[in-house]
Amino acid sequence: MSIRAADTAARGRLHFFLSVLRARPSFALGYAIVAVICLCAIFAPLIAPYDPVKADPANFLKPPSWSHIMGTDATGMDIFSRIIYAPRIDLAIALAGTLISAVLGSLLGAAAGYYQTRRGIWSFAAGFIMRASDVLQAFPVFVFAIAVVAVLGQSLYSVVIAVAFVNTPIYLRLMRSQVLSVRRMRYVEAAYVAGVSDRAILMRHVIPNSLAPVLAQLSVNIGWAILLTAGLSFIGAGVEAPTPEWGSMIAMGYQNVITGHWWPSIFPGLALAITVFGFALIGSSVEVLADPSRRRTLGGQIQGRQDAAKPG
Amino acid sequence: MTLPNFLSNRRDFLKFTGLMAGTAVMPRVLSMPRAYAQAGSTLVIAAPATPQSLDCNFDVSLGTFEAIAALYDGLLGFAKIPDPGVPTALREDTAFYADKPGNVNMVGKLAESWELDPSGKRVVFKLRQGVKSNWGNELTAEDVRWTWNRAFELGALGAFYTAVSGLKRPEDVKVEDKYTVSFNTDDPNPLLLKIHTNLYTPVYDSTKCKEVGGTDDPWARKFIENESAGFGPYKLQQLTRGQQAIFQAREDYYGGKPAIDTVVFKEVPTSASRVQLLQGGAVDIAQYLQPLEVISLKNAPNVAVETVPASFMIWIELNAKIAPFDNPDVRRAMNYAFPQEQVLNAVYQGLASPLNGCMPNIYPGFTGDHYPYKYDLAKAKELLKKAGADSGFKTSLSYNAGDPVQEPIAIIYQSALKELGIEVELNKVPAGSFYNFVTERKQPMIFYVDSPWCPDPGYSLTLYFDSKSYVNYSNYANAEVDKLLAAAAATADEKVRLDVTGKAQAIIMDEAPWTFVAYPNYTMARKADIKGWTYYTSNNVRFQDFSRG
Repeated sequence: MSIRAADTAARGRLHFFLSVLRARPSFALGYAIVAVICLCAIFAPLIAPYDPVKADPANFLKPPSWSHIMGTDATGMDIFSRIIYAPRIDLAIALAGTLISAVLGSLLGAAAGYYQTRRGIWSFAAGFIMRASDVLQAFPVFVFAIAVVAVLGQSLYSVVIAVAFVNTPIYLRLMRSQVLSVRRMRYVEAAYVAGVSDRAILMRHVIPNSLAPVLAQLSVNIGWAILLTAGLSFIGAGVEAPTPEWGSMIAMGYQNVITGHWWPSIFPGLALAITVFGFALIGSSVEVLADPSRRRTLGGQIQGRQDAAKPG
Repeated sequence: MTLPNFLSNRRDFLKFTGLMAGTAVMPRVLSMPRAYAQAGSTLVIAAPATPQSLDCNFDVSLGTFEAIAALYDGLLGFAKIPDPGVPTALREDTAFYADKPGNVNMVGKLAESWELDPSGKRVVFKLRQGVKSNWGNELTAEDVRWTWNRAFELGALGAFYTAVSGLKRPEDVKVEDKYTVSFNTDDPNPLLLKIHTNLYTPVYDSTKCKEVGGTDDPWARKFIENESAGFGPYKLQQLTRGQQAIFQAREDYYGGKPAIDTVVFKEVPTSASRVQLLQGGAVDIAQYLQPLEVISLKNAPNVAVETVPASFMIWIELNAKIAPFDNPDVRRAMNYAFPQEQVLNAVYQGLASPLNGCMPNIYPGFTGDHYPYKYDLAKAKELLKKAGADSGFKTSLSYNAGDPVQEPIAIIYQSALKELGIEVELNKVPAGSFYNFVTERKQPMIFYVDSPWCPDPGYSLTLYFDSKSYVNYSNYANAEVDKLLAAAAATADEKVRLDVTGKAQAIIMDEAPWTFVAYPNYTMARKADIKGWTYYTSNNVRFQDFSRG
């Protein structure tokens, strides 16, 4: 019985999800964009017609044509191939950076929330974590990321660390506020009285029950992280040339726009804009679906629509 | 009074006021050319940077060059000749003259006449009389002595100039009488005259400097950093760093008041913006443009573009102290693997010539006979095999983020080297710290752009290839080259000098301490009515040359 119930529940969820996409086509667009970007990243070597990092100075700054559908840049590299390869770097950096910040921020936030009212060194440590995150958040995100890359040196890993670093306080605060309410729950108190260790209470009871908003935040943040990565590369603090990456492609081409060579920067700019837009749409869909009251309203709308669609 | 009937509805009223405004503007539009001509005494220049410091003993930044040339004058200058390729432009006559003193064609600036001792160890300058500084003090021999004393005392760039001109102690610059000064060296020095044409050997108004400096600051460092005390054609009206500097022509300049009254030197960091300002007519001159921008301006209305061979060189230092570049065969292979012609076409759009020597090709004593490195991968492979590096190696190439041509060159070179199994990691260095990277000499390969300001083979080669030179950033050391360059510095006999510097060039080119890239042109992009531009080997403009016509 339980298997069938679970099956029905899963089907019900899928059905609901599909109806949501039908009711809000913008959400579907978001998922489609991100799916296409992910496919590009995975199958880039099969799709791209040229080597994305091979200069061909005999064919520099060729306008879009059948052989180079988005033209070539100042060193003769094929822009379409580079745009197809770019999500490998941009998505990887954004995903890695965001995941690291989510894990690190959640753990620290949980500890800070859980230990806040303890006496002695624990409360001091919790306070210290919060003040440290205040300091981090006091800097403008972009300036802070530039500083991190400047200190660590220019490489892929420094960009990942920069992205992780600037996002950590967001998860830290989110988790801490959740934990502050969850730790007063009866089941947590019961575990404490039963003599379960702090670590076990945190891992088994507190963190799992506080995780939902963090997951919602995750998808929104990936879009921002892509933008941050591209921004860092644009000002030259990001990945090394000639790694295919949207921000650095825009930077390499934007000065040529005035001389009429618009293609080296416009196409990667569009790709970047569409990708961030896709993640923003997913973010807003997660926001709606994770919020019980808005979800209920949406459910009501879908129900109403289905009722209206029924013949009768 | 009531409104005329036809204005009673709102639409008619709007039309009417529009018409009135239109007619009000019309006369202005029609009289634009006249207003334009009246503004002719102001010149607006869009430059990458305003001067940081106005003290040429310490600062070598871009805007400082223009400021020094406007505020100060030196003792001598090269005579001007029309550019052989661009008839509307003038340039310095840096050629070798067997019959002239010091073998150079000079004109007096602050010096009226000069006499070079046949020993090559002494030169006497008679100064112009009645020359006034921007503070009204008269030029005397004491000003020249004080100026060179300052160079001795403050060191830095001053130390370089005293050293290359063979001056060992402050007393070597002697006041003979009120208007006569002499320079005396222990050994014959070939640069005794040429060094006084240099942009960075101007004469200060010592009376003013002593007055403002007092005992706290005897060399007036604080004053000279922000203001000027010189005998040049302009005085400083305003300097707002990062925004603009304004220069005012001097009525009492000894050469006559310059044609342009006011020069506004604006900082516009992006070259694309400088192009737009020039095209839109907001500025008269746009400096330091990218090759593609220069090409795009060639058909722009009311804009003239002149591009001439210059003293600039761009190369890649192959660090002789870092393996595998300690092996000359590897360095030769790196040159055979460099697609020079493609780089000149793709990156420079033909606005540069191939770097086929190790000093500027526009200077006397240059020889382009020793450049064998035409793009040839087979030859490069052979040389790598000989060096035991035929399986390739890993290295890194650093380039300046502030110079837009370097990144594409680096990418093209990287692709070419991949064919030889050489993996090059590209290292983009922020413009602010790039110079430090170069002077540290710790990068295996790094770009460098420079121009030796003194049109002389001994001076140019010693800068980059003498094993003891500060500017020898490739760590190149060859005892024979050191010996030849020392011989060139110790004689004023031009025949001997041409012979030894020629031999030195042959050795250097064979041992390839650099990857030879290009001689970029100097480009002047200006409004069509700006006349009188002269190209100087110091690669800057001098406001006093310009007029509107």
